[in-house]
Amino acid sequence: MSSKLSRRDFLKMCAGSAAVISLSSYLAPFMKEAVAAGAPPVIWIQGASCTGCSISLLNTVHPDIKEVLTKVISLTYHPNISAAAGDLAIKEAIYKVAETNPKNFFLVVEGAVPTGAEGRFCMVGETENGEPIVFEKLIKDIGSKAKAIINFGTCSAYGGIPATSPNPTDCKPVSKVVKNVPIINVPGCPPHPDWMVGTIAHVLLYNDLPELDSFGRPKMFFERIIHDNCQRRQYFDNAIFAKTFGEMGCMLELGCKGPYAHCDATTRLWNNGNNWCVGCGGVCIGCTEPQFPAWPMYERMPDMPVGPATSVTADQIGLVLGGATALGIAGHLAGNIITGRIGPKKADEAKEGEA
Amino acid sequence: MFKKMEERHSLWIRIFHWTNMIAITMLILTGFYIHAPQTFRLFGSMDTARGFHFAMAYVLVVGVLGRVYYAIAAKDAKNIVYSPVEDTKKLPSMLKYYLFLADDHPYYGKYNPGQKGMYTGWLVMAILMIITGFILYKPHLFLGLSGWFGGFLTVRLIHYIITWLFVLTVMLHVYLDVAEGIPILKSMFTGKIPADFHHGYHEDEA
Repeated sequence: MSSKLSRRDFLKMCAGSAAVISLSSYLAPFMKEAVAAGAPPVIWIQGASCTGCSISLLNTVHPDIKEVLTKVISLTYHPNISAAAGDLAIKEAIYKVAETNPKNFFLVVEGAVPTGAEGRFCMVGETENGEPIVFEKLIKDIGSKAKAIINFGTCSAYGGIPATSPNPTDCKPVSKVVKNVPIINVPGCPPHPDWMVGTIAHVLLYNDLPELDSFGRPKMFFERIIHDNCQRRQYFDNAIFAKTFGEMGCMLELGCKGPYAHCDATTRLWNNGNNWCVGCGGVCIGCTEPQFPAWPMYERMPDMPVGPATSVTADQIGLVLGGATALGIAGHLAGNIITGRIGPKKADEAKEGEA
Repeated sequence: MFKKMEERHSLWIRIFHWTNMIAITMLILTGFYIHAPQTFRLFGSMDTARGFHFAMAYVLVVGVLGRVYYAIAAKDAKNIVYSPVEDTKKLPSMLKYYLFLADDHPYYGKYNPGQKGMYTGWLVMAILMIITGFILYKPHLFLGLSGWFGGFLTVRLIHYIITWLFVLTVMLHVYLDVAEGIPILKSMFTGKIPADFHHGYHEDEA
């Protein structure tokens, strides 16, 4: 059956699906087929994360999440919802699956990788003799055996909240820890369930990576810019800007990151097609971008740090330089007149010269 | 009264000078509006301002490319490109003149080292402006480049700070031109300058 859904149709579906169609429910039967035909297993591990990405996936109501996890996706391990725990989880569900399917399983990572203090900020289990297994070691061990790593959420993709300064745990994105393994980034804080199900569906159905942009994101979901499809775009074009939250108008001045944020939330909508960030009066905080959340959420222009606890805006720099230039010009003009390079004296000289 | 004139700026130099001047002025004005439409109420709508901004961006691209090509093809580059070796040697005498420590300055060629520095800087600034501008204009096309600069906010910051540098250096440029004499200003329109215009003393005269 999977052969009936060509990759071309699949991409069209993913990129074009409006809120009225549930991507997950459409893809479910195809994925079920693929799994029955022996698609590679998926292991889901969590590092420095808030479990928000898992919660977002649990919001998939069509099909029921039970369907997704047990029948649709051949998910062998998930830290929150698997029955397996302790040695059973670490030995059987993670290490054994990874060792018996070398280069033939997909590893889903949620959360950044803490590397400070030899990774001890995030312990995920222990060995038989009681030594802790840190997340950094786990991901190095099994990540290198995976066919591909799928990063769910901005933390595992780009570092996200845990890796933002001051970053005491020295968190890093997965791509900085595991090299030489293809990586798909599905960023978002959290990612939309359709992006996660759609990406997993693509790798299971076609056993191949979807087309990625330069930040490793599947183009089928992350090619478009929020600003270009925003429901408030007309306000921007007519230069009607909201000064406070709740006003009508484009929210650029309130710090909206729409002009740089890549995703399709404008048309896909959240919570089963109910609403999205700008639709409920909030600004886009650009949660799918590598710089998130190191930028000021509710300010248009970032300040530039110029010293300890001091920062300036671009306009302040301009005004200070402008003041200096004006002073310089005024001073030079005065000098010119006093020394007679221009002004009445020069005119006199010119007359003398002619005479 | 007929003054003997000599050629100072070729027709192509004048054409590029004025198209670039129009493009940069319009880009700065529309740019300030796009940056803060409530403060700089210069245009009717964002649509108009952005339309002008992008059109003028293309004019500037053509102007910069054309000017660079002309500088190379007409061997004009030696007049306007700052040479770190030759021109740095000439800097002290020029600074003395501008700080009123000397009454005159030696003959430097078509432009003094300060002017050469400024014009070379403008080329660098214009190229940076074009790159950062296009990243912001088509963010999905230049994703990789934006990452190279350190993200879109950094790109925008660079774009804004160079805008300010343009505003200030253009102010300096206009002031110094007028201060050095009206014939200099006239020559950018007519291309000619009086043959007896004082460009500084020659070493053998001094």
